[in-house]
Order: sequence, then C-alpha cells, then structure tokens
Amino acid sequence: MFATVGKDLVFRFRVGPILLALNPVTLGTAGGLLLIIVGLALWIRRGIPKDPEDTPPRRVVLLLTFLEFVENQVLGGMAKGLRRSLLPLIATLFIYVLSCNLSSILPIPGMAAPTQDLNVTLGLALLVYLLTHIYGIRTKGGLRHVKSYLEPIPVMLPMNLIGDMGRTISHGFRLFGNILGGAIMLAVTFPILVDLSLRFRWILGILLILLGLGMAAVFRRWGNRRAFHMAAGVATGVAILLVAHVWLPLLWATPLVLVLGTVAGFVLNGFFGVFAGVIQALVFTLLAASYIQVAAE
Amino acid sequence: MGPELVQGLKYLAAGICMGIGAIGPALGEGRIGASALESMARQPEMANTLLRNMIIADAIAETTGIYSLLVSIMILFVV
Repeated sequence: MFATVGKDLVFRFRVGPILLALNPVTLGTAGGLLLIIVGLALWIRRGIPKDPEDTPPRRVVLLLTFLEFVENQVLGGMAKGLRRSLLPLIATLFIYVLSCNLSSILPIPGMAAPTQDLNVTLGLALLVYLLTHIYGIRTKGGLRHVKSYLEPIPVMLPMNLIGDMGRTISHGFRLFGNILGGAIMLAVTFPILVDLSLRFRWILGILLILLGLGMAAVFRRWGNRRAFHMAAGVATGVAILLVAHVWLPLLWATPLVLVLGTVAGFVLNGFFGVFAGVIQALVFTLLAASYIQVAAE
Repeated sequence: MGPELVQGLKYLAAGICMGIGAIGPALGEGRIGASALESMARQPEMANTLLRNMIIADAIAETTGIYSLLVSIMILFVV
C-alpha cells in the first residue's frame, strides 16, 4: 500500500557510523518543483519593465496580486517594517508548500507529494524555527532575545524551551500528518470504490432488463397487429434481459469502472488533494508568520 | 497469542486511537467555528481577520488529532 504513498522506495546506505536513507521520489519531486518554481520566477522577473511607468505584462500583475493577497491576508496583523521584510520569505514558503501539496494530484505513476515525507516538513519547520531566532535577534538584540526565555520568571526557562521544541515538532508533523492522511485515505478509498462498482454492476443489468420491458410495452401500444408486436416486444425484452444477464456484466464492467473511477478520483483528489493541500499550505505559512511575529515583537 | 490475534488487536487499537483522538479536535474546531461565525455575523467588516485567526486556531486545535492519526498509522504499518 505504501507504493501509492511513495514510501516503499528508499535507498539506505552507511557513511561511516551514520545510517543514511534517501527517498528518490521525494528528492526528485521536490527538486523538480524547485527547478520549475525558480524557472517561473526568472521568467516573471524578466517581464518586469525597465521603466516603472510602463504597463507590466500579465504575469507580473498576477504575481503582484498574489503578493498583495499574502501581505494582507497572511501578514495582516503585523507592523509595517516586519511585514515588508517577511513578505518574500512567507510568499516563497507558501508557493513551495502549495506546489508540493498539489503535486500529489498529478497523474504520474509513483508520484507522491514531497510533503508526505516527514523529512521535508520537519526541515521546513526547522527552517522556520531558525528564522524565529534570527528575526528575534535582529529586532530585539541578542541579550533581550535570550532574556525573553526567562520570562515571566527565570524558573520558566525549561518550560519555554520545551514549548519551543513542541511548537516546531507539531508545526512539521501537522503538515506531514494532514497530507499523508489524505494520501492514505485516497489509497484506501479508491480501490474500495472500484471494487464496489465491480460488485454492483448487476444494478446496470437490472436497468437494462427494465429497458427491455419498457420497449416491449412500447411495441405493444404502437402495433396494429397487436399479437405480433407484443410477441416481438416480449422477445426483444427477453433477448435484452438474457444479454444483460449473461454478457453485459462482462462487457459493461470496464466502462463502468472507468466512469466511476473517474468520478471518484475527481471527488477524492479534489477534496484530499486540492482543498486540503491549499488549506494546509495556508495554515503552515500562517503559523510560520505568527511564530516569527511572536519572536520579533 | 497468535499472529492473527495480534494483527486484529492492532486494527482495534488503531481504530480506538483514531476514534477517541478525533473527539477532542472535533469539539474544539466546532467551538472555534461557531464563535468565529458568530463574531463575523456581528462584525462583518472584521471577517478577514477573524477568518485568518480561525484557521490558525483550527490548526492548533487539530494538532492532537493529527498526533492520534500518526500514532494509528504507526500502529498499523510500522510496529
């Protein structure tokens, strides 16, 4: 089952006393997304006009709209200076986490979102943890930043340290758990739906039998020579019934599975992939911004 | 204990863990959503700020649920 969650293919090797593990799916997807994002960024940057009076091309306006959304929605409650210095970082984090989450819906075999890997999410959470210290020291100075761990009374120092650790761990685990949970729900639900549609294909057979009987009734009403048409209609109905009973289950199984699978995949990927992915990316960046804000103010 | 019994108990444990672990976040998120909606109805001009804070509070209330999900996954697939 882990094949669909991208956890089965891990290379383990030893460098001296350290045991290392590499997941090529995670590395490849994350690296590919990184290249795509950097390429897009360079392409958009090339579109910025030299003269600020010129009308910028559409891609620049799109990026500006997105940055305005991040500045107002995600960084809304901050002081102006902090907001401006955080904007590029938080926007980049949002784009990266969002594209990582959404990459799980791409129809590529063996594809798994990089955020289904704890190493990626915990790495991002550690990056945010490091940044809280950097911003704390930059805005408050080193001494006051260290002193903030002794507040409200110096006895609270271990509590503050444990709180920091738990905050960072839950920050990483939240994204990981949400995305992995969605992927597991998809992996579990999808085969069940396909299996159900295979098992209940007789519903389609019954529908076809009803169609045959209805045709028989129609023939009977239309006919001048009643007896002949009735016989023809009943014969058609029985023929369709027989065909539906014997042949059509085999014949109709594949298209039925295809249709139901497409609908189920659309709905499930829409909810667990797109909706949960966008919400979790937003939550991740919102929490990152508020952690940094708490440290910096 | 036979391996089948152990396997069955694992499923049971994962189900209980996830089921009980989901109660707390569900109640908490329900409260958060209810009060956020109430405040938005009272002050529609604050809706954006309230929505942002609601999502943050939801995410924090969800943490224990995510932990129980991870413990269930570990019971099922890792242990």
